[in-house]
Amino acid sequence: MTIDWIAFAAEVIRMATPLVFAAMAALICRQAGMFNMGIEGMILCSALAAATFAHLFQNVWIGLLGAILIGLLTGLLIAFVSITGKADLYLTCIAFNLASTGGTVFLMFMMTGEKSTTSGAFRSFQIPTIDIPLIKDIPVLGRIISGQSLLTYVAILSIFLMWLLLKRTRLGLRIRAVGENPHAAESVGISVPKVGYISFSICGIMSGLAGAFLSMSWVTYFMRNMANGRGYIGLSAQNMANGEPIGSSIAALFFGFCQALSITMKNQTNFPTEFLEMIPYAATIIALGVTGMLAIRKRRKVESGQAAAKEE
Amino acid sequence: MSKTQRIESTMEVVRTLVGLVIAYAVALVILFAISEDPVYIVQQFILGPLSSPRRIGSIINLAIPFTLCGLAMCFMYAVNRFNLVPEGIFMLSACTVTWVALKLGNGLPAIVMLPILFVVAILTGVVIAFIPAIMERKFNANVVVVSLMLNSIIAFLAVAIMRYTMRDSSISYIASYEIPASAQMPKILGKFSIQSGIIIAIVAVVAVSLLFYKTSFGWKMRLVGENPRFAGAVGLSAVSISFAAQLIGGGMAGIAGCTEMLGNYTRFRWSATTQHGFDGLLVAVLAKKNPALVPIGAIFLAYIRIGADVVNSTGDIPPEFITVIQGIIILLIAAESFMSKTKNKLIFKAAEKEEAERKQKQQANTAA
Repeated sequence: MTIDWIAFAAEVIRMATPLVFAAMAALICRQAGMFNMGIEGMILCSALAAATFAHLFQNVWIGLLGAILIGLLTGLLIAFVSITGKADLYLTCIAFNLASTGGTVFLMFMMTGEKSTTSGAFRSFQIPTIDIPLIKDIPVLGRIISGQSLLTYVAILSIFLMWLLLKRTRLGLRIRAVGENPHAAESVGISVPKVGYISFSICGIMSGLAGAFLSMSWVTYFMRNMANGRGYIGLSAQNMANGEPIGSSIAALFFGFCQALSITMKNQTNFPTEFLEMIPYAATIIALGVTGMLAIRKRRKVESGQAAAKEE
Repeated sequence: MSKTQRIESTMEVVRTLVGLVIAYAVALVILFAISEDPVYIVQQFILGPLSSPRRIGSIINLAIPFTLCGLAMCFMYAVNRFNLVPEGIFMLSACTVTWVALKLGNGLPAIVMLPILFVVAILTGVVIAFIPAIMERKFNANVVVVSLMLNSIIAFLAVAIMRYTMRDSSISYIASYEIPASAQMPKILGKFSIQSGIIIAIVAVVAVSLLFYKTSFGWKMRLVGENPRFAGAVGLSAVSISFAAQLIGGGMAGIAGCTEMLGNYTRFRWSATTQHGFDGLLVAVLAKKNPALVPIGAIFLAYIRIGADVVNSTGDIPPEFITVIQGIIILLIAAESFMSKTKNKLIFKAAEKEEAERKQKQQANTAA
């Protein structure tokens, strides 16, 4: 068994890209105090939109725009039902994910007559890969960091933009204020529904980018259920880092590692595939357990510290 | 019951019905828009499921797992925990009972075999439901995410168990060996060809309804779901009660998977989870967490599913559109604002009328 470790490292970054977008999408809603599970369905819808728009207009950039637009619209739909319609957010998201799993297959069938992929009927488009000058010439590192999809670099950029937005802008402060305590935020004149809608819009754009990456970079067509839990993994990544952009991306990178490991081992070893396929999901559950345990332990320590301080 | 309460509960029923009608209308519009012979297709969708005893039988056959899964989700939904693991349990329990049935072989009579298999199924359900429940209780991990991830793992696990321990290599498709005759549950009611699981479903509905509305545990469970703070204030442990409810729900989902497997199939051959868990959630939402209403929701869902199948076989319309309709139904029913203006107006009017009557009476009194 020989594994090409450099190709593996590049694969980790590739697999982590949609997860980083998903984590950013999840954390902006989380910062506004909402646990948005609908990201899974939003990514799926945008992935189909990317493939469809690119095919209709025969242009990869219109595909990308279409994906972002559909991500935005689906985000606003969930926001409308849960904020204006006052529906339970969990139930809304479960219903939305259910509808988008079937709905994307239905739309794909209406457009192409196929139920599994659009690869036969639609022309495939790929978002260009970028060779970074200088870095591409560095031996090992060049092969890992350079030559990735443009969206991978956008993902890296989005981490810093998200950090800037949350920590350095008035809007970010408002979003965090609403997440911390909506009543307090309202009492100082912040419109809670408006902040909710804005967070869902940003979340939609991020989900759109994740979807576009799946159907125009990871592969160049749409397949049924291609999000395959990435939305949920993004949520878990965000959860592990308490909604901090940089920590969440590191967690997303870890999940990308697990997915790449599963794929590489499937291709290069003859270990039973069913067990390899479980790796990313099992890693998510274990990671949620471990971070939860650490958080509880930390809180206990703080509490016992406070108790000790009181006694003194 | 006061007037306001009466209006509120009537409006709940009206809201659900209006939601269903809107969703059904959306389905008809979709069918009308995409088919080449819309009148025929719509007619098939509405009347097709009722056109032969066999099809009516298949509605009931389909409603049986929906009912059992709906009951399972009632437990989760009643305590406000969206533990979606019944989706995976349904598949895994079918797999484990097949495995046990094959190991036990032909020697055992049905009267011994079936109870053993159901116990195995319930245990499978309880053990699997324990994982997200304990993760939430001990580590504060989100139960929805954990249960969804667990479902993916379970699907691979069930396929692996089937492929490596009980695959029948003499047949062309991937499936297990045939289960012994004593483990197969017969079809009943001749022409309608209904699985005998209907008896299990009826017993389960009665038992769960009694548990919900006639025992103290049921009352505690509903209280924890509706008002956890109040439940805490009167000294109930919300955590333990919702924990127990999730385990019972898991066991129920195990029964559902086992019933479906033994009643409808002779080999285990699923390669992915079957959506029954999510269908169960829809049924529980439709039934407003009331187990007695679960069969009605289940029959409605089965009716539109069979309608979609009929349309799929007569026209060229993929049955996936039903999941969109299902989503719309949940959204409309879950949205509290949906028709809330009408409700408020009615309550307001009733109050106004009462006030007017009171005044009139007062005037009459003073006049007298």
